[in-house]
Amino acid sequence: MKVLHLLRSEPDETVERLISVMADDADETTVKPLFKGDVDWSRLVDEIFSNDKVISWW
Amino acid sequence: MKKVAVVIKDIKQQYEGLQVSLGALLDNVEIQMFVLNHEIENMDEAYHDNMEFLDEMEGERFSNNSANVEKYGFVHVTLKDTAKKLNAADLVIPF
Amino acid sequence: MSDKLGIVAGTDKHLDWVIKLADAAHVKGKKVEIFFTGFGVNLTQRPEFEQLVGKANLSVCDLSFRALGLTGDVPGVGFKDFTTQAKNAEMLNECDRYIVF
Repeated sequence: MKVLHLLRSEPDETVERLISVMADDADETTVKPLFKGDVDWSRLVDEIFSNDKVISWW
Repeated sequence: MKKVAVVIKDIKQQYEGLQVSLGALLDNVEIQMFVLNHEIENMDEAYHDNMEFLDEMEGERFSNNSANVEKYGFVHVTLKDTAKKLNAADLVIPF
Repeated sequence: MSDKLGIVAGTDKHLDWVIKLADAAHVKGKKVEIFFTGFGVNLTQRPEFEQLVGKANLSVCDLSFRALGLTGDVPGVGFKDFTTQAKNAEMLNECDRYIVF
């Protein structure tokens, strides 16, 4: 399973731990820190639909 | 039936997250609600009634906060187990 | 190819992201559904909100809207689009991808 993690803010320990453990069972994990800006929104749409699961963390 | 995990970490979203969980249950979605890190801030009548309704509708509720487990009957879960359950869900909604 | 994107705005922090993502998805021919709930209903009061009209189907949680003391018309949101959490549940079931901002 391909999983895309979107970060709305700097991840705290909880988010880092959840992503880390989830990644153990995923075939592919991508983390996109939206809060850092400079987002290619067109590319992000492609990534949202090419991944099996998308999670937008706090 | 879709399996959805509602994950609530922000104290201010505890009630909203419960409402979202209930709404989904009524539309034939399987719900697992996780309240992470914090005790339920305002266990008023509305939250309590809605929480009981969630139980009656066979929604599941978990928490890694021991007060929620001891006082309000949440099933204890570690962050590691939470992550495993999130992997098994079709959709994960952080609230 | 999956083609329906659901966006739920549950906070009032990221209207610019909602607009940019909806715009990019719309350009790529995706159907976009946006539901404003909780503090997210505050976004309906911002001038930029109008940029979403025509790019997505917009709906607003009526309970949240009234609870936050909001009144009046919202661009692109008709009477029937002031709705309940049932709309959110419908999106959970129908959308191919579901994003929370």
